[in-house]
Amino acid sequence: MRYNPVIAKELKVKMRGWKSPALVTIYLGFLGLIVFFYFLTNDQISRYSSYSFNPRTAVNIYNMLAIAQFMLILLITPALTGGAISGERERQTLDLLLCTNLPTFSIVFGKLISSIAHVLLLIVASFPILGIVFIFGGIGLVDVLLLFAFYIVTAFMVGSVGLFYSSIFKKSSIAMVMTYVTLLGFVIGTVVIMYVWTFFTMRFGGNPETNPALILIFMAPNPFFGLASMATWSSGYIDIFNIFYELKRIFSDKTAGWIFTRPWLLNITFNVLLSGVLIWFTSWKLKPVKRKKKKKAGYQS
Amino acid sequence: MLQITNMVKKYKKVTAVDGLSMKIDKGHIYGFVGANGAGKTTTMKIVAGLLKATSGKVYVNGIDIQADPGGVKKQIGYMPDFFGVYDDLRVDEYMDFYAGVYGIPADKRKKVCDDLVELVNLKDKMDAYVDSLSRGMKQRLCLARSLIHNPQLLILDEPASGLDPRARAEIKEILKELRDMGKTILISSHILPELSQLCTSIGIINAGKMVINGTVDEIMQRVSVNKVLIVKVNGEMQPAVSFLKEQPVLCNVTVSNDQISADFNGDDEQLARILAQMVERKIPVISFREAEKNLESIFMNLTVGGMKDAV
Ligand SMILES: Nc1ncnc2c1ncn2[C@@H]1O[C@H](COP(=O)(O)OP(=O)(O)OP(=O)(O)O)[C@@H](O)[C@H]1O
Ligand SMILES: [Mg+2]
Repeated sequence: MRYNPVIAKELKVKMRGWKSPALVTIYLGFLGLIVFFYFLTNDQISRYSSYSFNPRTAVNIYNMLAIAQFMLILLITPALTGGAISGERERQTLDLLLCTNLPTFSIVFGKLISSIAHVLLLIVASFPILGIVFIFGGIGLVDVLLLFAFYIVTAFMVGSVGLFYSSIFKKSSIAMVMTYVTLLGFVIGTVVIMYVWTFFTMRFGGNPETNPALILIFMAPNPFFGLASMATWSSGYIDIFNIFYELKRIFSDKTAGWIFTRPWLLNITFNVLLSGVLIWFTSWKLKPVKRKKKKKAGYQS
Repeated sequence: MLQITNMVKKYKKVTAVDGLSMKIDKGHIYGFVGANGAGKTTTMKIVAGLLKATSGKVYVNGIDIQADPGGVKKQIGYMPDFFGVYDDLRVDEYMDFYAGVYGIPADKRKKVCDDLVELVNLKDKMDAYVDSLSRGMKQRLCLARSLIHNPQLLILDEPASGLDPRARAEIKEILKELRDMGKTILISSHILPELSQLCTSIGIINAGKMVINGTVDEIMQRVSVNKVLIVKVNGEMQPAVSFLKEQPVLCNVTVSNDQISADFNGDDEQLARILAQMVERKIPVISFREAEKNLESIFMNLTVGGMKDAV
């Protein structure tokens, strides 16, 4: 990849000093404590119960950590990215970047990477802890890798939403709030809309049975839907949210169409597409002088 | 080096730049003077590629800014009127960052940055955090930053504003050095004297229009030949005005506030004769004086008059 000065500078500043190592240490300590106490309360560390170890416990821990980390991504990323560009504007350093030949895409992409760097760092650092569950079985390496890929894609999606608002709104605080609101729309709004839609189609003589394809369409933007449908996908016997259990059953019944057994693919596709579009738009928006494709003769705007 | 023709910039309601044209030759220092809100910053931002002109043409070194904005940006070093610095960065890191932004290859960056920091006399502050620098030092650092890609045209928006006389002098010295290096400089200010010793050309802008421009010598010449006659009369001004307008040695007879002013091109004898004739005609003259016309007074006249028109 080409050298990106924005990433280089931001990372240098961010990772300097004791703050980042301290953050990682505290975070990992926290995760470690959760794991430890969970085992303790479930009597797994006791000397006498070592033969009656239930792999289910390990899977439960894994699921708990998976959800906790996911929430962390959704909660922290907007705060980190919402001020990325508006902050640059507030600090009056944006013009100094825009008057150079650095492509605005490099600015946007550099800001995105460096803003979610902390989140990515925490995710990667937590790999060994989540990996503890390997020892006890029940979770495959594929599961964990998949989960991490899903985390990263989601962090990018949330980050590009934050950056998008950051380039639109002058104030960082508004950009952050708008990012949270948008996420809330993805998480809760999609569910509400889906139920409203089903309600109305049923009233007007539609098929009373929930159409799986429809669910997929409505739920595609929902990050938790993606997480729920994939968390322990390869081993397959855990569903972290019971509300999704029913859906999953419908999907498994469906023999036609492999997408029905892997709904998270849809969510990942949605995230990738949305990030791409938003990054492209933000880069375009930042360009101080936008070039028109064609100039109409005799007309000057 | 820089040629602007008929540039117009309209914000939603305000017309900030209104048909401005100017030309700066290579190696000149062009002083761009105007009152607050005259449109200096707007003009400079357009040339720096940060704003789009509503209409008009801008050429930098023969390159059309609309056709090849990237090519123009390579030629321009821009220093805005207000700018921020990244705290948490040291001076050397700050310069290194912008060197990277301007695409200077990694192995040359250190040399380029060191030379520039030396040029602006910040060598001993190399390890200091940018945040801890004084206003004048930050200004100089920003100047060094705008020079990183070795631009031919420098656009400096009020580089000396908010500085004490000593810091101003320092900036001035650096600018002279840059001029000797062959750079073309467009520098704005709302204070004319600040620029008159430094610049080779001057343009005065008012309400988005160029009022007067030319080399300093040209303007000075026009100024020293013409003196201004200022007359005050008691009561009715009309007879005095029409009398003065008849005089061949006077031109541009204007009335402002309660005084009549006219450009005067002649000697003291003629001046005495005019006064004598006025008294003869029983025009109640209460004040009759000749004013020196320097750059400052031209500036004041032009901008004050213009503002009255605008209001
Ligand atoms: N972003 C903007 N939106 C609307 N109007 C603007 C904007 N920027 C500048 N103006 C208006 O354009 C006019 C010219 O402003 P400009 O900043 O170019 O003046 P200036 O000569 O640089 O003044 P100063 O000496 O105070 O820096 C002013 O009337 C200002 O109100
Ligand atoms: Mg200004």
